[in-house]
Amino acid sequence: MNVFLQELRSQRRSTLIWSLSLAAFGSLYLLLFGAIRNDISAFEDVLKNFPPVAQAALGFVIGTLKTVSGFYAFAFTYIVLCGAIQAANLGVGAIGREIGGSTADFLLTKPRARWSILAQKALAVLVLLVATNVVLLAVTIPVAAAQGPDFDAGLFVLLSATMFFVQVIFASLGLLYGVAAKKVKSVVAVSLPGVFAFYIVGLLGAVVGEDAIRYFTPFKYFDIGYILKNAAYETGFCLVAVAVVVVAVGASFAVFAKKDVQAL
Amino acid sequence: MNVIEIHHLTKSYGKARGIVDVSFDVEEGEIFGFIGPNGAGKSTTIRTLLSLIRPTSGSATIFGKDCVKQAPEIAKEIGYLPSEVFYYDKMKVIDLLKYSASFYGKDCTKRIKELAEYMDLDLKRRIDDLSYGNRKKVGIVQGLLHEPKLIILDEPTGGLDPLMQQKFFELLRQENAKGATILLSSHVLDEVQRLCSRVAIIKEGRIIKLEKMSDLTRDNYKKFSVECDAAADARFAVDGVSNLERKGGTVSFLFKGDVDGMVKRLAEVHVRNLWVEEPTLEEIFMHYYTKEE
Amino acid sequence: MNVFWRELRANRKSLIWWCVGMVLMIYAGMAKYAAYATSGTSIADLMKQMPASLSAALGFAGLDVMKASGFYGMLYLYLLLMVAIHAALLGANILAKEERDHTSEFLMVKPASRSRIVTAKLAAAFVNVTVLNLVSLGLSFAVVEQYAAGENMTDEILLLMGAMFIVQLVFLFLGSAIAAVGKRPRSAASLATTVMLVTYVVSIVVDINKNLGFLRYLTPFKYFAAAPVLDRMGYEPVFVVLSALIIVASVVVTYLAYDRRDLKL
Repeated sequence: MNVFLQELRSQRRSTLIWSLSLAAFGSLYLLLFGAIRNDISAFEDVLKNFPPVAQAALGFVIGTLKTVSGFYAFAFTYIVLCGAIQAANLGVGAIGREIGGSTADFLLTKPRARWSILAQKALAVLVLLVATNVVLLAVTIPVAAAQGPDFDAGLFVLLSATMFFVQVIFASLGLLYGVAAKKVKSVVAVSLPGVFAFYIVGLLGAVVGEDAIRYFTPFKYFDIGYILKNAAYETGFCLVAVAVVVVAVGASFAVFAKKDVQAL
Repeated sequence: MNVIEIHHLTKSYGKARGIVDVSFDVEEGEIFGFIGPNGAGKSTTIRTLLSLIRPTSGSATIFGKDCVKQAPEIAKEIGYLPSEVFYYDKMKVIDLLKYSASFYGKDCTKRIKELAEYMDLDLKRRIDDLSYGNRKKVGIVQGLLHEPKLIILDEPTGGLDPLMQQKFFELLRQENAKGATILLSSHVLDEVQRLCSRVAIIKEGRIIKLEKMSDLTRDNYKKFSVECDAAADARFAVDGVSNLERKGGTVSFLFKGDVDGMVKRLAEVHVRNLWVEEPTLEEIFMHYYTKEE
Repeated sequence: MNVFWRELRANRKSLIWWCVGMVLMIYAGMAKYAAYATSGTSIADLMKQMPASLSAALGFAGLDVMKASGFYGMLYLYLLLMVAIHAALLGANILAKEERDHTSEFLMVKPASRSRIVTAKLAAAFVNVTVLNLVSLGLSFAVVEQYAAGENMTDEILLLMGAMFIVQLVFLFLGSAIAAVGKRPRSAASLATTVMLVTYVVSIVVDINKNLGFLRYLTPFKYFAAAPVLDRMGYEPVFVVLSALIIVASVVVTYLAYDRRDLKL
């Protein structure tokens, strides 16, 4: 477990910073809810008189905005985006940092099977992501609960958990990239454009078709409107998410087992 | 017993040459030299042995175990020092060494202290503050701290000052005396000659010579240096002579073959002075490298 | 000039991909506008009745998203974020990569002073961000006009892209300054993008909470936000000056720090 522990140790500071920043941002937004909830109630009444097209165009479903969770959902898109960047950093860096920083020679000549090294790295990434989400929830749930008596903790957690799933997907994709790439020179130079590429794909819905595009970007696997309305995830997209993770992680193991680690 | 056995090992990178049909054995307890110029395939061979890269064909065993399939098993008893040492920059030296030790499941604290003291290495400093030579020392300690049975060194002495080189070689001799087998790849032939009992010469990805150091330098070749008129040079250009060159009043060449015949040829010219020596490894190496195939 | 050309070539492929990204973004964004626009005036009315506090919290503040220019203004924030990432990564990496890839010795012993090398590198980076900006500008004209429905947007687009260019330069030189000052070349890019993302988050915070408006001086994303720029059809002088100061200071720091830098092996 030494590789696992070492990865935790080397990433703990950055993970702490990410966690606290996300939690701070989420809380700040939630605090705003108390301030404008009366405005929202008033607006809800206005909104009811408009045709569904208009409501849909604003991206939210009637009746959700006046709950804390529904309101939070708006800022949550940004939080998920940031979380995806963090996860991609961890995923790409896990092996990419070793090969890019030429420490792979050191690590891979140690008496550990490659699958074991990769498994420990992947596990460490998973633990760090879990930690991030635990911190986020631990901070935002009390803040959200304080915004009113009608706080639905179950729904809030259900919503918040989507960040974890999106993160796991990006971490898996990042892991595969870090393993398969000849050399990762800079982790963020891979993770940032990568995450934003998927984000842009999500915006292409208007061109390609909103339903079709959802399969091509993890950002659209978990539809916030659907979750708020049904208090559940869409089974189909859950399967897609699982499939992406399984394939990416499986491929990482297969590629890494056979990878030639070149000298400088 | 052979510690390393390499059978017809080939690694090709697309069209670029890697190594071709490399075979040799390293016996237990010996210091084996692996020499050749840059790009000849030394590192490729070593990296294949360490399972950092996979062979295209052929196989190799270390301690009787397959290099690819049982790599983690084998690695327990190997210490490896690469030519370029890069470590986790944020770590302190001691943290890196402890991390390294944690892979071997035994307490290496005492050994780390001994080695660091011997190599004059400050354990408390951060790795990214170290000079090239000091990083190299970290590499040495890192490679030896678990008292490996097989030590593999790829161009190890770059960056070490002569004093440290001496200490390092002394350390290797001690390890060897304790029973460790050593595979030393280098293009610094002087250090190979001082340390190794056997050598393999690799050229353009193929092993072209595999011999005991003593045989290589003593029995086969004589180095002749003859002070005589330049007009006589042509007389020496016979079978068995190589690396014939004239510097000022002296012509020198390597000779392998019937010494009596050469002495009779020498008798035909006016010799002002004559040296017959065992050639250095470097001269033999040059011989193999300049010889037309 | 050899360093300049070498950097241009080294960044060519990545620049092409960034341009593709921008093109897709603008095209997709305006296609979305078409969907809005066809839903009729009901949304426009709806937006008008939305309380200011709420529209601010949802990020629509001050933009008439029913107009092509207003919608483009909303899209603009995303474009800004993308080019900021590009510029920060480019600025940091173009300096840090020599040490990171262990080529600094090769380069620095050549008979060219460090400041000349920095100049060549910064010039190459400048060309890169300029190209990205011009591509975005050209495409914006082509795509937005299609949806503009008679609304003449030439001035708006020029203004916004001009602002984008300033923001690009701010982050480019911030990135290079961070790389020049930072101790570890391997983390230069991550540091530069962290700074960039933090300022981005600050800009969102400023959006959703008006009480924190004073924070807008800290984030270049707010210097030339679409709403005020389109509102007054110009830039606020204070932010132009502030940007210029940041750029000049960053450039100076880049040169000074890189000149004194102990290059790592």
